[in-house]
Amino acid sequence: MSARRAVAGQPSPLVDGIEKVTGEAVYTADLDTATCLSGRILRSPVSHGRILRLDVSRARALDGVEAVVTGEDCPRSYGVIPIAMNEYPLAREKVRYRGEPVAAVAARDARTAERALALITLEIEELPACYTSADARAAGAPLLHEDRPGNIEREVHHEFGDVAAGFARADLVREERFRCAEVNHAQMEPHAALAEYDAERDRLTLHSVTQVPYYVHLMLARCLDMDTSRIRVVKPFVGGGFGARTETLNFEIIAALLARATGGRVMMRLSREETFITHRGRPESEVLMRIGIGRDGRLCAVHCEVTQRGGAYAGYGIVSILYAGALLHGLYDIPAVRYDGWRVYTNLPPCGAMRGHGTVNVRHAFECLLDRMARELGLDPFAVRRANLLRAPTRSLNDLMINSYGLKECLDRVEKASGWRQRRGRLGPGRGLGMACSHYVSGAAKPVHWTGEPHAVVNLKLDFDGGITALTGASDIGQGSTTMVALAAAEVLGVDPGRIRVVVNDSVITPKDNGSYSSRVTFMVGNATIEAAKRLRAILIAAAAAKLDADPGDIECAGETFSVQGGEQSALSFAEVVRAALADEGTITVKGTFTCPPEAQGGRHRGGAVGSTMGFSYAAQVVEVAVDADTGRITVEKVWAALDCGYAINPLAVEGQIEGSVWMGMGQALSEETRYLDGLPVHASMLNYGVPSMAESPDIEVHIVESVDPLGPFGAKEAGEGALSGFPPALANAVADAIGLDMNVLPLTPDRVLDALIKARRAARRKEAS
Amino acid sequence: MSATLPDFELIRPATLAAAIAALQEAEAPRLCAGGTDLIVNMRHGLSPAATLIDITAIDELAGIVRQGEGLHIGAATRLCELEEDDTLARAYPAVAEAVRTIAGPAHRQAATLGGNLCLDTRCLYYNQSDWWRRANDFCLKYGGDVCRVAPSGKRCRAAFSGDLAPALMVHGGEIVIAGGEGLRRLPVQDFYREDGADHLALEKGEIVTGVYLPPPAGLSAYRKLRLRGAIDFPLAGVAISCARREDGWHFAIALTGTNSCPVMVEMPPLAPDEDAAAYFRTLGRQVQKKASPQRTTAIAPHYRRLGVAAMAVRLARDLWQAA
Repeated sequence: MSARRAVAGQPSPLVDGIEKVTGEAVYTADLDTATCLSGRILRSPVSHGRILRLDVSRARALDGVEAVVTGEDCPRSYGVIPIAMNEYPLAREKVRYRGEPVAAVAARDARTAERALALITLEIEELPACYTSADARAAGAPLLHEDRPGNIEREVHHEFGDVAAGFARADLVREERFRCAEVNHAQMEPHAALAEYDAERDRLTLHSVTQVPYYVHLMLARCLDMDTSRIRVVKPFVGGGFGARTETLNFEIIAALLARATGGRVMMRLSREETFITHRGRPESEVLMRIGIGRDGRLCAVHCEVTQRGGAYAGYGIVSILYAGALLHGLYDIPAVRYDGWRVYTNLPPCGAMRGHGTVNVRHAFECLLDRMARELGLDPFAVRRANLLRAPTRSLNDLMINSYGLKECLDRVEKASGWRQRRGRLGPGRGLGMACSHYVSGAAKPVHWTGEPHAVVNLKLDFDGGITALTGASDIGQGSTTMVALAAAEVLGVDPGRIRVVVNDSVITPKDNGSYSSRVTFMVGNATIEAAKRLRAILIAAAAAKLDADPGDIECAGETFSVQGGEQSALSFAEVVRAALADEGTITVKGTFTCPPEAQGGRHRGGAVGSTMGFSYAAQVVEVAVDADTGRITVEKVWAALDCGYAINPLAVEGQIEGSVWMGMGQALSEETRYLDGLPVHASMLNYGVPSMAESPDIEVHIVESVDPLGPFGAKEAGEGALSGFPPALANAVADAIGLDMNVLPLTPDRVLDALIKARRAARRKEAS
Repeated sequence: MSATLPDFELIRPATLAAAIAALQEAEAPRLCAGGTDLIVNMRHGLSPAATLIDITAIDELAGIVRQGEGLHIGAATRLCELEEDDTLARAYPAVAEAVRTIAGPAHRQAATLGGNLCLDTRCLYYNQSDWWRRANDFCLKYGGDVCRVAPSGKRCRAAFSGDLAPALMVHGGEIVIAGGEGLRRLPVQDFYREDGADHLALEKGEIVTGVYLPPPAGLSAYRKLRLRGAIDFPLAGVAISCARREDGWHFAIALTGTNSCPVMVEMPPLAPDEDAAAYFRTLGRQVQKKASPQRTTAIAPHYRRLGVAAMAVRLARDLWQAA
């Protein structure tokens, strides 16, 4: 690790951790419900159909029911991408997936609300449904959206470099088709929202579990046809996001519609099943990967085709299918890349953004196929990656900016730590080592709602008490952004972090922030915090200089003491300097902003903004597995993961984020998948959706690599996503090493492994017989 | 989509007699101990009950006591107590191992022996919310008339999913039942029927008071096939005991998770001069024959059959080598 700073760089427990571990933290569902009505949603029982009749009169008449709302009450669509808002909070005319909200009730208690739902008459003319991408794309398939022929939400065709020439030049060209199951975030906290409408003043307040209060604010204004100034959005403690909450979700708008209809407070708590149905997870993806390499392991060309089963509505779909192509770039030096992507509408809950958005399934295919080709050429998996390293600073073929690149050191670290050279091939039967690399953006340099405003704003307030209040809209969802703001400000100001309180996520108090997604917060909000803190520091130094009758340039400020260079006798305490600074103007408020420069905002090609970022994190990992040949069960024995996060502002949080990424990748690789029976989810509980338990959680040895990005806050880049997408291919490569089987499917559940083993044994017997 | 519990009256009798009286007199009664299965089902709109009879205050149902050379375990004994019992671990290892595979540590703090033995059968068409089952027109086990797993069949194919029953079976365990007529005892396997909608041989007004385990004879163990190493119900489970006698090795084999009730797999003893490899191959085939997993889980039945047979063979061989 590089030279450590006094505060920003030291392992620090999260500043909001105490509330969480003592159970004092108030999450949305914990907010006082004594005076709240209970909201409940009636959901479509069919996958696809035309609403013929929706009669809520009996529900409305039930004693204790305060309001019933339907699609009639909200004629405005919503969505996260301005050009693809094709969803209504409550279905209008058609339903497109089982579980889609159709009507909602607010009643004095949950039981009454449920009784009211049972009194609603819903008649639907069922239409044929499409549950797979292939069915949806077939000729004559029923259309989900009239304006989307072939059920294609977005097609992407990008080519950079001379792909044909690259393949012609390659010594080895291989192509494989991979299928990765749909997965869900399975965050610990189920969805909840509390909406309060003040009819006297025409004001709405919404507390929600969101990662993006600002986008929720915009969509509430749109769907309720209210001026944004009449709306207040608050984000309490949030129990995990992972992308599930990076767009406005139907229940948030429904809660607000009910609150306005009742003129009161409505608590909407979704069940775990409803939380799963709200979905926005990673789509089932079919990836056709074609790679050409030279005998020396140098990549010559790549052609990748991706089909994503997107579910019933647009959501982040356009971004997901663009990301899948854009992030083929930026990890290795590849001279020619062609990408064809199709995002498909199907009659299933809508997909969305999920940790490692867009890249995970493509990275899986790439790293698996590259490993197999290395094997075929007799090259070591590490050597073939080292043969294709980038050299920073550079720009990728698709014009992504790369200023720092620690992949080589990541490779060195995990190769050594895992004993790769000594141990690989010598672990005995059923055991194996595999490795893979990955990367991720540090924030989208061009946000989805492009307004031209700074990407982040942070306010600092210093008052008579000597306390510093940092105001930020950055949404802490457990990743540690609140702590990061405190550490960054304390570092610049040279004060004890305890002097700083961070106030977050209340639209009437904190400055606008785009939210916690695409790993943007540390880079953007971190830089904005540093700028604000520098301004405050300058004010304090000026005050100290005036009091000490010295030149501001000669003032030293550290450890809450201000002094003239070398002159210890004249040192001023922090309190004295604050008093001096406040004497003229009173309470001091400063602001810092951060804006991504135009050269970071991506290429000029259509969709070029997606993937654009200030910098990439880089990761390499080695996974050791044992495979039980009788039951097909894979045990992850150990993981060595190295991540280049630029600079670890809080090494403790970085370590946690790397472990979390590895662990989440492990879930997708081993056991997690959504399953539907004719559109009905059979996975929608924590029992049936196989997130790994503690019993599967391996020892994860984390290595933090610091390439010190020239534009990052103290050199930092993202740390929360980059290590995820390397896990599934490292695992699959380890399984191949252990049992000699290449499998092109995720997750590698024991039944799939056993099937593959049985097939291989049969094939071996046939070969022996002939 | 309901998550609210229906109304019910909760009573907590202090004696077995009072509990039996309540069972016979109360309106739509159900017994409840840890509630880790029942309450989840009730929230799903399954298992309607107007009266819940909480049996955890009844001293007669609690604890582990020696009975001669054997052991009696009260029905309301919590799984965490079984987990910590040295006698059980030493003399009936299959039972102790089975306990440790049930759900997670927090569940085992509340869940009981009786609850695990009387666990409702499970099926992916049944263990769903009211909204889900309604959208699917319900099923034979509850509210409908067609088994969604085997629509042409006449009975419910939901799978028995308790881990303890097979372990008790291979130790010759007996279930003790109290009712208006006094006590009766049944070999554990006779307590169950191969019918997912009606799998317990329990008459109205009867309570399982505990299990009697005869003196231990030989080694035993339990293995469980599941996606995760905790929390999950068995995709399949196998308990085996192995005792060495003069005519060879006697195996008792019992399966769970594969049928609507736990089942014994009959094998003759392995004679001292017999080809052991062939014997274990036969054992594997017998397990495959007896196991009848259906599409009650998201994982294919085919895998559960193969997996449980492979586990049984491995386990039997390990016990044989150790005996």
